[in-house]
Amino acid sequence: MSCEVKSKERAGIINPMVTCQPAGAQYASIGIEDCTAIVHGGQGCVMFVRLLFSQHLNENFDIASSSLHEDAAVLGAVHRVEGAVDVLLERYPHVKVVPIITTCSTEIIGDDVEGVVRKLKKGLLATKYADREVHLIPVHTPSFKGSQTSGYDAAVTAFVKHFATKTEECNGKLNLITGWVDPGDVKELKHLLKMMDVDATVLFEIENFDSPLMPDKSAVSHGNTTIEDMQGTANAIGTIALNKYEGGKAAEYLRDKFEIPTIIGPTPIGIRNTDTFLKNISKLTGKPIPEALVRERGKAVDALQDLAHMFFADKKVAIYGHPDLAIGLAEFCLDLSMKPVLLLIGDENPNYAKDPRLLAIKEHAEFDMEVITNADLWELEDRIKNRGLEVDLILGHSKGRFIPIDNNIPMVRVGFPVYDRAGYYRHPKVGYNGAVWLAEEMANVLFTDMEYKKDREWILAMW
Amino acid sequence: MPYHTFKCSEMLPDREKHAVIKGPGEDITSALPLGNLNTVPGTITERGCAYCGAKHVIGTPMKDVIHMSHGPMGCTYDTWQTKRYISDNDNFQLKYTFATDMKEKHVVFGAEKMLKQNIHEAFDAFPEINRMTLYQTCASALIGDDMDAIAKQIMKERPGVDIFVCNAPGFGGTSQTGGHHKINIAWINNKVGTVEPEIKSKYTINYVGDYNIQGDCEIMTDYFNRMGIQVISMFTGNGSYDDLRAMHRADLNVLECARSAEYICNELRTRYGTPRLDIDGFGFDLLAESLMKVAMFFGDDCVEKAKAIIDEEVARWKPELDWYAKRLKGKKICLWPGGSKLWHWAHVIEEEMGVKVVSVYSKFGHQGDFEKGIARCSEGALAIDDPNELEALEAMEMLKPDCILTGMRPGEVAKKIRIPYLNIHAYHNGPYKGFEGWVRLARDLYNAIYSPVMNLAAIDISKDDFETGKGFMTRTMLSDPGVPREELHTENMYTGKMDIVTHLRGKEYDFPAPEPKADAAV
Repeated sequence: MSCEVKSKERAGIINPMVTCQPAGAQYASIGIEDCTAIVHGGQGCVMFVRLLFSQHLNENFDIASSSLHEDAAVLGAVHRVEGAVDVLLERYPHVKVVPIITTCSTEIIGDDVEGVVRKLKKGLLATKYADREVHLIPVHTPSFKGSQTSGYDAAVTAFVKHFATKTEECNGKLNLITGWVDPGDVKELKHLLKMMDVDATVLFEIENFDSPLMPDKSAVSHGNTTIEDMQGTANAIGTIALNKYEGGKAAEYLRDKFEIPTIIGPTPIGIRNTDTFLKNISKLTGKPIPEALVRERGKAVDALQDLAHMFFADKKVAIYGHPDLAIGLAEFCLDLSMKPVLLLIGDENPNYAKDPRLLAIKEHAEFDMEVITNADLWELEDRIKNRGLEVDLILGHSKGRFIPIDNNIPMVRVGFPVYDRAGYYRHPKVGYNGAVWLAEEMANVLFTDMEYKKDREWILAMW
Repeated sequence: MPYHTFKCSEMLPDREKHAVIKGPGEDITSALPLGNLNTVPGTITERGCAYCGAKHVIGTPMKDVIHMSHGPMGCTYDTWQTKRYISDNDNFQLKYTFATDMKEKHVVFGAEKMLKQNIHEAFDAFPEINRMTLYQTCASALIGDDMDAIAKQIMKERPGVDIFVCNAPGFGGTSQTGGHHKINIAWINNKVGTVEPEIKSKYTINYVGDYNIQGDCEIMTDYFNRMGIQVISMFTGNGSYDDLRAMHRADLNVLECARSAEYICNELRTRYGTPRLDIDGFGFDLLAESLMKVAMFFGDDCVEKAKAIIDEEVARWKPELDWYAKRLKGKKICLWPGGSKLWHWAHVIEEEMGVKVVSVYSKFGHQGDFEKGIARCSEGALAIDDPNELEALEAMEMLKPDCILTGMRPGEVAKKIRIPYLNIHAYHNGPYKGFEGWVRLARDLYNAIYSPVMNLAAIDISKDDFETGKGFMTRTMLSDPGVPREELHTENMYTGKMDIVTHLRGKEYDFPAPEPKADAAV
């Protein structure tokens, strides 16, 4: 039995499974209150990313563009940033935080974003907006490096570096850096924190991405992590970053700069990782895990016990998505006696091959497993269509939707983006409730598939 | 002056002449917004880039092609699966997209070698496909890769393979429109005239500027085929690469979206003398007129067939259109598309559905589009060029429309202020072209405006004295309050099938025999 971690052999991409860095930085920026980012590049880098967010969350998010046109691409475009900052601040009086997110074009032409920020601070901000708190934060996310994952990581790090300010006293709060998650996840994480009686600063507080349609027309979808929240991260009693590759660097920065006790990982997908998460909270805060969570966990284990050895055992699963999500899902599948035979991660990072979670899987998997980094969706489709891979279930996001459709394989949509199923952003994938939701989704798609294919559908007649 | 200044844009002198309200008795000489100018940065524009105009809008609907973008993966990923242009080739063009995955080392040392490897890999993975479109992006344009040279090399190395190169980087223009132009010109310069079509009919056309959204193009080509006209190529909805190389052989270019595809029609006229006929596939009267115009270009037999189609279709669908029109009468809509629908729909939707178009806007239209659109609009309509988020919100607050016809994301903005939206780019339940399609649009508008759910959204249970004990509301309870059931004539609500396109595929048509070519004996 083996578990191989290797990079995709082809040079190019057939059906990409990830997008580029600026999209990740944009997703982080919409989590901050009174924040509207300016993406410095062509208009498509914003318009389509906003559409992606809309596809996934069924809401609108405001992000501005410096609208790079031909002349600026040739002659330099920093003046487009100057113009954009002024126009944005003047027309949106509530905006205080303006990340300036670079793209491939403006990185290649070598625009000096730090320089223009210095100029704006001395000029425009000191004069026209002298009475207003404004933070301009350069975020470097050239699209030809990393992916949406590293772009998200870069943005969280830039925000924390910009804001975190040490004051005299510890604020008694825990920093919780969630990584790229859904509103349903944040809701669940806050529930666990409340049960643990822990006051936390959540980066980012995105529960309100799922916003109501109100009679007074007042609601908009936006994140609620404040400037004060981020400033306070330097005075916390500890930091937990759930995802090593999405927010881990920011946690390391807080640890190294302000000596904040820090735990990075694990992604709390499944029972065991949630147990560890709670234990880690307990370690950093001294708060005990309450009886109520023992019951909540018990309900979740009960639900899984109903399904695992009957329906999940030995089912072969292919998983693709963000690295921490994909690894977390693989661990959960193993706990359910499933066989995650193929794991696709969409970008390259030298740390993947050394990731202790993957090393542990390598040591213990009782079946042949492949982990492909820098992968595209063709790595999955080609194996299924042309190379004899048989899987019983696919876990991944909507961009790969034609693989299950064309090959008659059941699939649970999980990750970003999900636009071909209703309301998935609302449900947690983390915590005990996330474990139940994921397991029951998997069971129900397997059941539907049995019925659709008339494959021992009679089993369910008496289950 | 009829220029309209939005409160939110008072401080932006550059926005001064981008919105007008058509005043009483005014025509386009006194009211025309600027168009196709550089965007004011930071306004939160709705515009996209030239790359998407070329690759995403015009290139990708071609159904038998490997569509590859030379650049980082984001351009490809972000534009993939965001449109509903279907095809009869098992939707290959929707399912597969290709990116060369440009990384930092390529930016520094060049990416031509990697591009070459990429092209070989793609053809190897799909041996049944031997056509490719290759799109430049911002990154590959700035590092200066010679994509044309690589494409030529590959075509030598792999006989039987044909590659089209489109150099339209994201920054190449004010918006999508820059890319529309570039791909039109690149296609006529490099591909038209390189294939000779099989001529099956005395009458031949290219159907240009339709992207087969939910099957629009298939509905229209069915009409043309029934009229005895052979459609040599579709530019580009459900279009085939090699058919489009034979565009020079058509007798007539029938042009739908002049915004995105008039360039190629104009070039075909200049270079090959092919006349251009602009038509409207939307609306009963305009469509009937359009089919007649095309028929009259060809001859009496064609005219007779067109008349028969029109009579049959109108008789079948008019009662259903009227049922909806009666209930849509006086409802206010904002017609907020990307470009051409602002003039395709502006007056016909008013005349045939009774709605009032209170505003038109265009993300990437030129002044010419506004000229046509505003001429067709009624008094009081607000026309906006390159709208931005705040202006759109201000316009909705001012005009209080009952429905917004726009894209998905702006639709989400409207939702929060309790205005339903219809997707004018991808459609809700289209196709909307054709007689039946127009009824489907009326049906979707009615369903949006009289949705019992949106009706619920207005109720504040903490304050309002709302009616209790009611388990449901139907659409007709909202559209026809108090009207007895037997007087509703619900039998005239839309009776068509959910899928009206698939059954057209593989249909056989009779064509009048082509006249022998004068040079056949040579």
